[in-house]
Amino acid sequence: MTLKKRYLRVVHLLFIALLLIQLLPDKSTKEVFTGSLVLFAVAAEVIVLAASSFIKKEESLKLIADIAGFIFVVLGIWSLATAKFNILNDLLFPAPGKVLHQFAEDREKIFVNIESSLGTTIKGFLLAVVVAVPLGLFIGWSARIGSAATYITKFFSSIPPIVYIPYGIALLPTFKSVSVFVIFLATFWPVFAGTMSGVLGVDKKIIDSAKVLNVSKPEMLFRVILPASLQQIFLGCNQGLSVSFILLTSAEMIGARDGMGYYVKYYSDFGDYTRTITGLLVIGIVVIAVTFLFNKLQSHLLRWKR
Amino acid sequence: MTTNKIEIRDLTVNYIDNKRSFNALHDVSFGVGRGEFVSVIGASGCGKSTLLSVLEGLYAPAGGSVQIDGKELHGTGTERGVVFQHYSLFPWMTTKKNIEFGIKQTRHGLRRSERAKIADEFLAKVGLADSGSKYPSQLSGGMQQRAAIARALAMNTEILLMDEPFSAIDPKNRVILQELLLSLWEGDGSEERKTVVFVTHDIDEAILLSDKIVVLTAHPGTVNEVVNVPFERPRSRSELVKTDEYGRFRNRLLSLLNTDVAERIGGDEVVL
Repeated sequence: MTLKKRYLRVVHLLFIALLLIQLLPDKSTKEVFTGSLVLFAVAAEVIVLAASSFIKKEESLKLIADIAGFIFVVLGIWSLATAKFNILNDLLFPAPGKVLHQFAEDREKIFVNIESSLGTTIKGFLLAVVVAVPLGLFIGWSARIGSAATYITKFFSSIPPIVYIPYGIALLPTFKSVSVFVIFLATFWPVFAGTMSGVLGVDKKIIDSAKVLNVSKPEMLFRVILPASLQQIFLGCNQGLSVSFILLTSAEMIGARDGMGYYVKYYSDFGDYTRTITGLLVIGIVVIAVTFLFNKLQSHLLRWKR
Repeated sequence: MTTNKIEIRDLTVNYIDNKRSFNALHDVSFGVGRGEFVSVIGASGCGKSTLLSVLEGLYAPAGGSVQIDGKELHGTGTERGVVFQHYSLFPWMTTKKNIEFGIKQTRHGLRRSERAKIADEFLAKVGLADSGSKYPSQLSGGMQQRAAIARALAMNTEILLMDEPFSAIDPKNRVILQELLLSLWEGDGSEERKTVVFVTHDIDEAILLSDKIVVLTAHPGTVNEVVNVPFERPRSRSELVKTDEYGRFRNRLLSLLNTDVAERIGGDEVVL
């Protein structure tokens, strides 16, 4: 309890330090939007305060406090290096308030781009999972040898999906469909390989238990083999998901007309580094949010594991 | 004509290991009467578990025949419920769901709510009334075997096949589970008893539970002798072990079990 209190006190001190830093005179020649920064810091502090009175689980509270503390420190140093002492070139390194202000100003544009990026990723990813899992289950189970399939999969998954982009552009009508196609390929092989290795690795005792219960073939596949290989399937999905984001943003920087990768590329071409940094941070936040939700789903579906 | 529930005739089973085939069971014959509890005992490697996988329909014999109700056995079937030593339950289903899933396989035409009711009833019978929503990984080995027995009984099959169900359980819980199985199987006389084939290497377990004990000898597995257990039912372990007859019977079984050992080491008879 006292430890928890002390912990939170450190966060509050960091918050106050950040505010005090803002009282220093600005040295930057550009507008620094101190108001936006203060507003953001206060919002973060309010969240910490709310969490400390509502969240009972010590672990989650500690996590929130840690993250908030980290943000306060980063913002403090960032302010000092840019707005307050102008150590860094203010053309290349905008002040934190400016980035936050830019985010608020561009929020509609940013949300449209997030929507476009996420839509493309989810389409390609889900399509790959929906095709790869049943196919992997079926081939892994009916062959039960799988070594040929494993080598073929290894061959295809060793080709970095990004090299499909130029060919995809020649094959497919829109750049959007190329992105979906590449994400599909990037996800398909790891998920397919994961599913097959999951099926091949299912404990024979579990299969025997199912056989003596006289399960039908579809039941065997979807109620026994599928849950028994779920962990391996998720391994493939995680791999697919992380590659998908890399590919998506790369693809968007090559030729898309929207999406977060496009946003970053477009504005850095104009030398608008405030928006570039805003875009980078937004991409980070979106990827973390998606990964977090996906991990939640995974631990829910695998809750029966010890 | 045979009146046995299960009739095993000249059963021969070959195992292929490293491209070399070896004889696991050779000319094994015995019958299991309707409602009879038969144990198969033998040293490890004598093929007793192989025998059970043939009865489960998981392994095809090289020769001989197995008949159930006069019909040749082909593969797995819903008239047989099985309890293994490990992994009888699916780890991704709760205990109750496991039982409901088993019921669904053998008792068709029941509504979901009826299956749930039967599952609860059998969970209570094995003393797991509060553990229905737990996953197998949250249960101890003994509790998992209780749940496996509950499922096998709830499936209401005519035959129960049990492959060393208690050999991985600590001695104290093993005794408790043996008593539980005995009382559930003996019942109160209102229902017909199930036909059970029970594989074990524990002599006391076999005597306590069985009507008849099949003693196998190894390399290859053959039937040394089929012994009727002379003790009245209902049985109680504490009463049983007090009698002199129990000790004599146990010694006789031990010497039967060790016949091949005695031959191999050149002695006359081995009595522990």
